[in-house]
Amino acid sequence: MVPVLEFEGITKEYRSVFPGRTVRALENFSLTVEQGEIFGFLGPNGAGKSTAIHLAMGFMRPTAGKGRMLGQPFGNTNARRRVGFLAENVALYHRPAEQLIRFYGALNGMQGRSLRRRAAEVLALVGLSAEARGNVGRFSRGMVQRIGLAQAIVNSPEFLILDEPTSALDPVSRVAVRDLLRSAREAGKTIFLSSHLLSEVELISDRVAMLHRGKLARLGKTSDLLQSGTETEIVARGVSPGPFRGTLNGNRLVKFTVPIAEQRAALERVWAQGGEVVSVNPVRRSLEDVFLEVTRDLGPSASEGRTG
Amino acid sequence: MRASLLIAGNFVREQRWPILVLLLWVLLLAFLGLLPDVARSREDLLFIFKQVAVYVVAFSVFFGGSAIYNERKTRRILAVLAKAVARHEYLSGLVLGVTLACAILFFALGLTGSWVLGQVGFPVSTVWFLMVSLVAACTLAGTVALMFSTFLNPFFSAGATALVLGAQLAIGYFSKGRYDHIAPFYALIRSVTESSYQTPGRWMWSGILVALVQTGFFWLLAARIFTRVDIAVAVE
Repeated sequence: MVPVLEFEGITKEYRSVFPGRTVRALENFSLTVEQGEIFGFLGPNGAGKSTAIHLAMGFMRPTAGKGRMLGQPFGNTNARRRVGFLAENVALYHRPAEQLIRFYGALNGMQGRSLRRRAAEVLALVGLSAEARGNVGRFSRGMVQRIGLAQAIVNSPEFLILDEPTSALDPVSRVAVRDLLRSAREAGKTIFLSSHLLSEVELISDRVAMLHRGKLARLGKTSDLLQSGTETEIVARGVSPGPFRGTLNGNRLVKFTVPIAEQRAALERVWAQGGEVVSVNPVRRSLEDVFLEVTRDLGPSASEGRTG
Repeated sequence: MRASLLIAGNFVREQRWPILVLLLWVLLLAFLGLLPDVARSREDLLFIFKQVAVYVVAFSVFFGGSAIYNERKTRRILAVLAKAVARHEYLSGLVLGVTLACAILFFALGLTGSWVLGQVGFPVSTVWFLMVSLVAACTLAGTVALMFSTFLNPFFSAGATALVLGAQLAIGYFSKGRYDHIAPFYALIRSVTESSYQTPGRWMWSGILVALVQTGFFWLLAARIFTRVDIAVAVE
């Protein structure tokens, strides 16, 4: 199956008008996004996330390397017809919401009754049906972001590229967007999600890539990344928590963590004390832990002047 | 083509306030036409008519030179070019938008001019021919400004446009119109500025045609440059 998005050894440099000043936003960056997955794209400010997205959309050209989106070279107009894009801090024309959605739909070749129907549908999906006649210029930031999402999905895209889609949303709207993305995945669509809200990404992404200083720092299944691989959590019954430096919960269960290397010894100590082992599980980290680990291991984040 | 028309319509909508302000000037001319004994002030009326026409031509440079810059500065360009819109279609939309904005203004000026100047002896058919000439001049001026604005900010773009169009004016002026075929902008503007009740504007279809050919040339140049521009990079 052809990958939905493919970066092949892409380098992007921003040249200043002053000679000798060059900022390298991406360096030999390669990544493949497969069909039907929600792909989380993470990184600190200035890591190069937005640059990668803008290259994929054809807003800019790579200094070196190449890439393909939906089987076409970056920037191909026909490929963009099948893509939905929401930019970070989306900026839209100040028009009545429904008219605006119809404008963007028409730019993608939609027209007539089907466009009107679809515009009403997407406004309902983002919870703005009641504001269909309201001017976007008077909307709150969260509402503009939802309108931005509506214009991104008006053409029923196969592939959605979302740059910080929930940053301005309240918790209820975030849940609604999360549900919307999940149902899109169930419908076989692919979603490329760039976000600073790590908990959001953790909840819905199948795979995650972490970018740091223009380079790919981590890539893998979300579930694999979240396993620490160094510690185990043991839950036991019939032992006192003291010797294990554990905690006792309401069901008289003692919970404690030990390094994997000491797991066997710990279990034997539980049995030796007449206790019973209830469960043994690898400790799960949060995506935030992984993120912090990456930024700590690879040095400080965004260098001054680096573009996003 | 449809995308270009949509972008053109959207451009006019976005420029509705400057268009409205210029329409107020046209309204002033209409108001003067209501004054009693209008024949006595017919030279003043013709002067105001020419003045408004030249203002609109100047505004076409402003329209063309600031269009891409404003869209990039507000980042609205991203949502448009994220759709199935090629860069050259986007530019076509802007050229059409500038033309449409000027055509609206010249249509209003044509209506007013026909009524006000017509009643004091200026040929109505010439008024409309001048309006067509001015739309062609505006399209050329707007496209030159748009071409420069693909890589310059509006200030420098307006300066560079003034140089290109100024060169046409200089060629036309010093050659006394012998090179109208390479300097149509001068020929079209002159046909308006030199109009009088005795010698109404010169009908010069060739000037309009050459202006359109040059518009095509500058559009091609703009499209070639704009394809290579990183539009997501912030503009200053």
